[in-house]
Amino acid sequence: MNDWHIDAGLLGEYERGELDPSRAMAVEAHMQACPPCRSSIRVDFTWLTGNWSVVYDHVHAPKAGPGHRLLRRLGLPEHRIRLLTATPALRWSWLAATVTVLGLAVAAAWLLRSGAGGAVLATSFLILAPVLPVVAVSGAYGPPADPMHEITGTTPSAGPALVLWRAISVIGVAMTMAATAGVLLPGPGWFAVAWLLPALLLCTGTLALATALALPVAAATLGGLWLAGVLAASRLVHGEPFLSVVFGPTAQLGYLAAAVAAAAVLILRRRRFDLGASR
Amino acid sequence: MPPVSEQSSDADLLRAIAAGQTAALRLLHHRHAGWLRARLRRRCADPDVVDAAIQDTFVAVWKDAHRFAETTADPAAWLWTIAVRRLVSALRGPAHRWLSGPAADVPDDARTVPSAEELVLLGVEHGALGPALDRLSPELRRLIEATALDGLTVREAAQLLGIPEGTAKTRLMRARTRLRQLLA
Repeated sequence: MNDWHIDAGLLGEYERGELDPSRAMAVEAHMQACPPCRSSIRVDFTWLTGNWSVVYDHVHAPKAGPGHRLLRRLGLPEHRIRLLTATPALRWSWLAATVTVLGLAVAAAWLLRSGAGGAVLATSFLILAPVLPVVAVSGAYGPPADPMHEITGTTPSAGPALVLWRAISVIGVAMTMAATAGVLLPGPGWFAVAWLLPALLLCTGTLALATALALPVAAATLGGLWLAGVLAASRLVHGEPFLSVVFGPTAQLGYLAAAVAAAAVLILRRRRFDLGASR
Repeated sequence: MPPVSEQSSDADLLRAIAAGQTAALRLLHHRHAGWLRARLRRRCADPDVVDAAIQDTFVAVWKDAHRFAETTADPAAWLWTIAVRRLVSALRGPAHRWLSGPAADVPDDARTVPSAEELVLLGVEHGALGPALDRLSPELRRLIEATALDGLTVREAAQLLGIPEGTAKTRLMRARTRLRQLLA
């Protein structure tokens, strides 16, 4: 029976749907078993390449990395995950820089542990650690840091939501790294956590201030204020009292209250986020 | 893994696809997309759904080429089984499901129906089966087609035709009885 094949006329009728149902079934059954008859079906090449390009794109779609899977495990929606993991080019240089700075601080503190230098270094860690997340936030959005800003700014997701999502992601990473460094640092145990509330205040403060100023300007202002204030305090009181003044319980309460106030300002004025345009 | 060409057999192509060669997938797609499309279009009037089912099929082939059992199945029949099931699952979704569905419906080795061709062809070309099938009412004939020719289960056939499974079972029974009467 293999001498029976589909001829051009029959094939044409099949493709136009003019065949009796039973004969169409016969054509299909034969086609499945006979490669030459299968290939005799005419295919529109434009359609074929178009169809193939979709398959190709899908086959070459980037695979979800470990970070992507972790975020998905945490229950974030897919588009947020894409947003948080979409800029791998900048991520590594920034991570490496922060790790290096903190690593050097910890290493130097251990080397100089015996002398007075260790205390100075530990103190400078406490002072600088709150500024790190702020630096990270200042680069999270806006024209100087983000080369894609012109394009980002035209998308519907631009604005407060995007600033906050990016800020949260960089603050999260910076805080984790600084906390690790704080634990590794020699000195009293509370060193490891004493900088957290100042950092919280500086971050929310920066974001709150960004409703009035450009983000980098806001970050520079608050970071500068913090450094200037702490340095001024170190001029007035020396040694152990200095630490208890700047990082003691009273001061911590003050930081918390200020951070709450900043968060309130941020929520009230969230619609007025500076979107990187110069005012 | 030797490079593949236009002359490679389907089984060679599938082996190359399992080894991660995109060129082999392209050759397989260009070789089979045409007849799959012609055949799927007789079962679904929406060309977009048919195109998506074909794309879905080859994405599934890319992921599951290693599950193709060379010894027991014919590549074309395997492809058809995947394609028609993809069409069914595309029609089943609340909105049409496009790419990236779970590949759960790829059979380990396709239930090829080696007797189907001979049975239908012999019967239609030389026997009484052709007229009998033509005299069957369309909804009964479509069920026979979906189960005997397309290799679908009754449940899948019901989904393809958009009828409840129970209805499909009754109709299939009626179709068989009627065929028997007509052939007697």
